[in-house]
Amino acid sequence: METFINSKAFFKLLLLPCLLLYSSIAYNSSSVGATMHTNNWAVLVCTSRFWFNYRHMANTLSLYRTVKRLGIPDERIILMLADDMACNTRNKYPAQVFNNENHRLNLYGDNVEVDYRGSEVTVENFLRVLTGRHETAAPRSKHLLSDEGSHILLYMTGHGGDEFLKFQDSEELQSHDLADVVKQMKEKHRFKELLIMVDTCQAATLFNQLQSPGVLAIGSSMKGENSYSHHLDSDVGVSVVDRFTYYTLAFFERLNIYDNASLSSLFSFYNPSMLMSTAYYRRDLYQRHLEEVPVTNFFGSVMETIHTDAAYKPLSRKNSGRLETQMSLDQTLLHVERRTFINVNDRDEMQDINVEGKQAASKCPWSTFYSKLQKIENVDSLVNYGLVAMLPFLVVSTWLLQ
Amino acid sequence: MAETKEKSETDEKPKPRVRPIVRLGIFLISHSFLVSVVCCSAGVLALFLLPVLAKNTYISENALMPGSASPMLSNQHISNGNRLVKDLTGSKLKSSETGIESQRIIAQYMLDLGAEVSFHKFHPQLNQFHPLHFFSTPDSGIMQENYSCSSYGINTVGIIRAPRSDGKEAIILVTPYNTLKSGLGEALSVGIAYSVFSLLTQVTWLAKDIIWLVADSRYGEYEAVAVWLRDYQTPKFSSLSTINAEMCPDINNLYELNVNSIAGSKFSNSFRRAGTMAAALVLKVRDQSEQFEDTISIYAEASNGQMPNLDLINVVNYLAVHRQGLRVKVEKLWSLLNSSWLRNLGEIFESLGKVAKSLNPEWKFGIPATEYVEGIATLASSLYYQALGVPTGPHGAFRDYQVDAVTLEILPRFSSDKVRRNDILLRGGRLIEGVIRSVNNLLEKFHQSFFLYLLTSPSKFVSVGVYMIAFALLIVPLPMVAASLYVDASSLGNCSKSDNSTTSAITNTDERGITVRSWRWLNSAKLVFVVHLWGAIVSLLPYFICQIPDCSPTTSFMIWVLLSMLSLLALYSVLASPLSYAEASQEKEWAFVKSVTISSVFIGLGLMSVINFATAEIGALLMVPMCLLARPLKLDIRAGTLRSFSRIICNLVLGLIAFPPAAFFLLKGMLDDFGSLNAVDFWMWVESLWAWNSATYLFIGMVHLPCWVLCIHILLHTC
Repeated sequence: METFINSKAFFKLLLLPCLLLYSSIAYNSSSVGATMHTNNWAVLVCTSRFWFNYRHMANTLSLYRTVKRLGIPDERIILMLADDMACNTRNKYPAQVFNNENHRLNLYGDNVEVDYRGSEVTVENFLRVLTGRHETAAPRSKHLLSDEGSHILLYMTGHGGDEFLKFQDSEELQSHDLADVVKQMKEKHRFKELLIMVDTCQAATLFNQLQSPGVLAIGSSMKGENSYSHHLDSDVGVSVVDRFTYYTLAFFERLNIYDNASLSSLFSFYNPSMLMSTAYYRRDLYQRHLEEVPVTNFFGSVMETIHTDAAYKPLSRKNSGRLETQMSLDQTLLHVERRTFINVNDRDEMQDINVEGKQAASKCPWSTFYSKLQKIENVDSLVNYGLVAMLPFLVVSTWLLQ
Repeated sequence: MAETKEKSETDEKPKPRVRPIVRLGIFLISHSFLVSVVCCSAGVLALFLLPVLAKNTYISENALMPGSASPMLSNQHISNGNRLVKDLTGSKLKSSETGIESQRIIAQYMLDLGAEVSFHKFHPQLNQFHPLHFFSTPDSGIMQENYSCSSYGINTVGIIRAPRSDGKEAIILVTPYNTLKSGLGEALSVGIAYSVFSLLTQVTWLAKDIIWLVADSRYGEYEAVAVWLRDYQTPKFSSLSTINAEMCPDINNLYELNVNSIAGSKFSNSFRRAGTMAAALVLKVRDQSEQFEDTISIYAEASNGQMPNLDLINVVNYLAVHRQGLRVKVEKLWSLLNSSWLRNLGEIFESLGKVAKSLNPEWKFGIPATEYVEGIATLASSLYYQALGVPTGPHGAFRDYQVDAVTLEILPRFSSDKVRRNDILLRGGRLIEGVIRSVNNLLEKFHQSFFLYLLTSPSKFVSVGVYMIAFALLIVPLPMVAASLYVDASSLGNCSKSDNSTTSAITNTDERGITVRSWRWLNSAKLVFVVHLWGAIVSLLPYFICQIPDCSPTTSFMIWVLLSMLSLLALYSVLASPLSYAEASQEKEWAFVKSVTISSVFIGLGLMSVINFATAEIGALLMVPMCLLARPLKLDIRAGTLRSFSRIICNLVLGLIAFPPAAFFLLKGMLDDFGSLNAVDFWMWVESLWAWNSATYLFIGMVHLPCWVLCIHILLHTC
């Protein structure tokens, strides 16, 4: 009995270094690229107002509904909307907004949280939201609290022209402004990847000045083309949806949160003869292959599943000296735990640990070995080798016990 | 330029360099004859080119969205309307009294729908000549004091408040209805308005209040609408009107009937208002018409050639043609349709267009000859009615308050059976509903489209930027010719004197002589001023003639003509007679007079083109050739060449045509018939002009007539 316990303890002792090795390798694997995708945000902007622009609000609300359905929660959606349709006196159906003449779906249901409403939808506020430089009084719910692990969907619709987008018939957002604000966001680590989707006339021209990496842009029309509305609701008396958005929605209606459709399948879904304009994609700033990127990476909130061994552990930084703290945490851990990252937002905590890690860096004997390990690309094979290397240990230990 | 540079280098005293624009001006003035011939012919040609240059109308305001909503007017509403039509036509048989019965029926129907109803009692105002009323807004209730119970009209006003709006704007629907003798047409128009009204009380999409005015047209359609509008726009804070009402038993009776029958209803004795007016539609149905298909004609001209925004006409035209399948027409001068020379001109333009198209397929300005002739006929009528300055319907009253309004007259295919009547009610009603819903979508006043335009067909227009060119070309030669005449006349005077005086010895007297000579045009200016003064007197005379009681038009006309001639003679002999400055008059005197005349005509035409373009255009067509050609007959007779002889003929013909009464009779004879001409017609015509405060009257009196007199003065000048 005692021997059994001893042997168990011994076994544990033997196992520990192996586990440690494994966990540290697993942990590092995620930080081999840049930062990993940890959260999703959506900024949905309807830049026009007045009754005859009903369709723009319907566009935006439809997309709002879609991204919500695919898993982006309301607090991660910044909705900018003139919001003068539902209660417009000209609306035959008070407090309802439809995007189809069959009137099956009321977009203006119970759960519409408009963050910027009416005359708040200005170029200034738009830029403030994206750059995160708010006035002191702006409530937290109106902030875009994204970080370097965020995928952001920026959807805009309204009236545009050659390299500009009109805001409520009084201001303009130029392509330079957009490029500049995206650049600022990139420098401030406010996104990992950004998908800009614009449904206006000559939408493609709005992307001309973009330079920042990680940006993917889709426009409804090329230069010199108009974006047309899809159909007229003769009951309400206005056009209710634009073609580009209509077909985007048609694509997403078939999907649910578990589907794996790629961005390229979305892009190939746009048929110029149906749109009556040519959808334009700017992908030269985007590194990944579109075939490998699921649409839910932007339009939903579905992230890669990551294996980790720690339940409450900050995400890795490229900081090797942290290992000791990790080890101390790992001491108590007896089994590998699978966990899906959803969100890590507690930056303060991370910084504390960082400081601690730096202090420990000098006395860590593992650091040289660790840095070597970092160079090894194929982690899985390393793990396998480790497991194979354990076999002799096992044989020796059983032989000793006998 | 190079030459001048060389010169300035070589000369010791370099001449001040003349700027290119001055040199261009001097060049044009020195070639003024050629310039004036080219410009005038180009101006006339440009006028005839306008139908070719006309553009298709389009909806300029995005917010309007006509026809995007399907009509909601159903058979239920039509039967409502039909019921009212029956009651109205039936009630006429029952009671032949003052027509109060039908007012009561209409009011009752409105109240049943839940609308606010009030009666508006008014006294008709006689059209009188008010010398100071031109261009001024109508004032409120000056004539209200001398009312009598025997003559008054009652407008019935129903208001629907938009359920979810702020009530700041309103759309007006007007149906003129003569309570004393109304035909089926008027009853039908009330029926159409009622069926639309009954629909509008139920809908949820109203953003503007709806006012339905049943205008009592026994004293004229325009009058009833104008008085109601005046009371609407200028609130009175006295109780005068209610006192008036109480003093007339009939009206008391009317009020009591209503109040008793429906207790607690929305009936009100006081004047009811809604918001500012976004647009107004006047609806009429003609009793008898020989149309082969249902037609709707649009009348848009308001006072002094003002037009409603083109978008309003576009909306009506679009809905009528593309939604209700009605034929739309605007006024035409029918007599022009058969003229062969216009057809030939049209064919020339057509072939020219074809040639241009074969050269470059992108040039598309050729239109078929028939279309061209129709375009010219419509354009001429458009020009004529704008030039007249008299509104073509009750919509004119709205334009005085900057409200866009049109009169729609439905001309049904002649038939009186019930099915046809329902069809007219349905299509007319849906058209009105569509226009109201479209205007209801508006966010601002009509402002996107044109206010200054001429129509060449219901769906084609010529905008101000294009038709201005024709006018500008016509009047451009005037200042040049004036300048060249002045230069010629002064230099001639100088040359004759320069023999005596040498350059070395310029004496004091010569200096004075030069200054006197350079101011010689003042004499001519005095003459021109006096003649214009006479013009003003002639324009004012009718005001005094009207004060003479019991004066028939013929005698009035005679008195006017006599007084005008007498005053001309008196003024001429006393102030501007050539005898009074005999020593100053020289052989070139007429040139100074002509120069100043042309300048004054240029100023007059320029001013008038701002006030009423069409008047200025027609005036320029008559006056510019006459002014430019005027030359003393004596000189031409003395010359005796073929050229001078033809000039004499031209001068005489132009002098005859450009005389305003002669021009009027000629035009009238051409359009109607020479047989039916009567001297009194002119008096009547002039009377209508001043009664409607048309600026055309002032133009004729103070620009055209003096110009004609001055030209005659030049023709008869004793050189």
